Amino acid sequence: MYPSAFEYHRASSVKDALKMLADYGEDGKLLAGGHSLVPIMKLRLAQPAHLIDISGLPELGAIREEGGKIVIGAMTTHRAVESSSLVRAKLGLLAECAALIGDIQVRNRGTIGGSIAHADPAADYPAAILALEAEIKIESVSGSRTVKAEDFFIDLMTTAVRPGEIVTEVALAPISTGCGFAYLKHRQPASGFAMVGVAVLLALGKSRTCERARVGITGLAAKPFRARAVESALAGKDPAQAFASAAAHAADGIDAMSDIHAAADFRAELARVYTRRALEMALPRAKA
Amino acid sequence: MKLSGETVLSAPREWVWDLFNDPQRLSKLIPGCEKLEILGPDEYSGTLNVGIASVKGVYSGKLKLEDKRAPEHYRMLVDGKGKQGFIRGSGTLDLEARNAKSTTIKYAGDVQIGGPLVQVGQRVIDSAAKMMLGQFFAAAEAELQAEASGKVARQGIFLNLWRSIVRLFARFFRRQ
Repeated sequence: MYPSAFEYHRASSVKDALKMLADYGEDGKLLAGGHSLVPIMKLRLAQPAHLIDISGLPELGAIREEGGKIVIGAMTTHRAVESSSLVRAKLGLLAECAALIGDIQVRNRGTIGGSIAHADPAADYPAAILALEAEIKIESVSGSRTVKAEDFFIDLMTTAVRPGEIVTEVALAPISTGCGFAYLKHRQPASGFAMVGVAVLLALGKSRTCERARVGITGLAAKPFRARAVESALAGKDPAQAFASAAAHAADGIDAMSDIHAAADFRAELARVYTRRALEMALPRAKA
Repeated sequence: MKLSGETVLSAPREWVWDLFNDPQRLSKLIPGCEKLEILGPDEYSGTLNVGIASVKGVYSGKLKLEDKRAPEHYRMLVDGKGKQGFIRGSGTLDLEARNAKSTTIKYAGDVQIGGPLVQVGQRVIDSAAKMMLGQFFAAAEAELQAEASGKVARQGIFLNLWRSIVRLFARFFRRQ
């Protein structure tokens, strides 16, 4: 189907985009890679009167190192993240996660800012972003603010971004040397979305016990989350013995989603299995 | 799509029952509800403006209550449609008094959703419904708390009076 008529505006800067967003209010919608928005516009589920294209803004498309962090512009495509030598060297988990998103067409167009702002419950990035404790910069006409990944995702397709605001950057601390990591997903065969996706970051102590673990899970619930029960079950334990029992807590207290592809029970089981596998994959990569 | 679950509201069962039978107050609690009007005894028509992410739509339809046993049970029939799809279904609501001050609400329903909405929304429709139910119960809890602290109590007299007038008129017009 054709989308209903809309006016296309190409923003010349973030400031320009913010002004248009303020002017058009409810009728305005930001266009990033368009791989979530355009399909729903073609079904006329969304009918924004004004599309404000921010995908070409060079100020949002760069990856740089700043103040000990790696800062990724919101309009950086998944492909650019997965192939960036800086990201691969210092944020291997994010590069691996980006490489598993959708297909090559999606990765060439889809952006990190668009993905997290849309907050699809089955998107891949949120799992890695939670495990990496990223900080998300949000700008509006009245200034900018920074939100921690864990406070960013609020509910189903609902984030901390308010009307009139734009996600401009994702800042991440490099993974410490010796840290093991892995992102594993159970892929929905048609769409490539994560029926469950698990991102793991694992730091080992001197005697190869788990010093610190961070686990982010997507696809299981209406919003991505940090699996704290798994993390605390691993602390101070011998990995070989603790993995199975810790991973069993992956869905604790979580209201699992249910759809025609996977019932809630099956999704919860996928989360437990993929958490264990992701931990097992991260372990040999970790150095004490 | 089957929906079921239970939740606890901190108010006596009679209060909850009154609230769940009061379209004026309900319309303020249902997420996106733009109007809820009385069509006849236990029959309402309403408009919902639902927006999740960029998917926004207006749905209008009818709501009917059956098998009413005050203050513990009713069955609800819903039939609505909008440009983006339709929703049809039924469900039951059971109120159990936990104690003098709190009530357990058990709900179970079977809902059919169709139209373009399903093409992209299939993956998230269950979660969207759960999210809206959660928002509704949270608003109901706040309303009941406000009632308990007496904010609504005084307004209630006028509301009841207004409601009896509306009912009287409704009956009057049906006879003709």
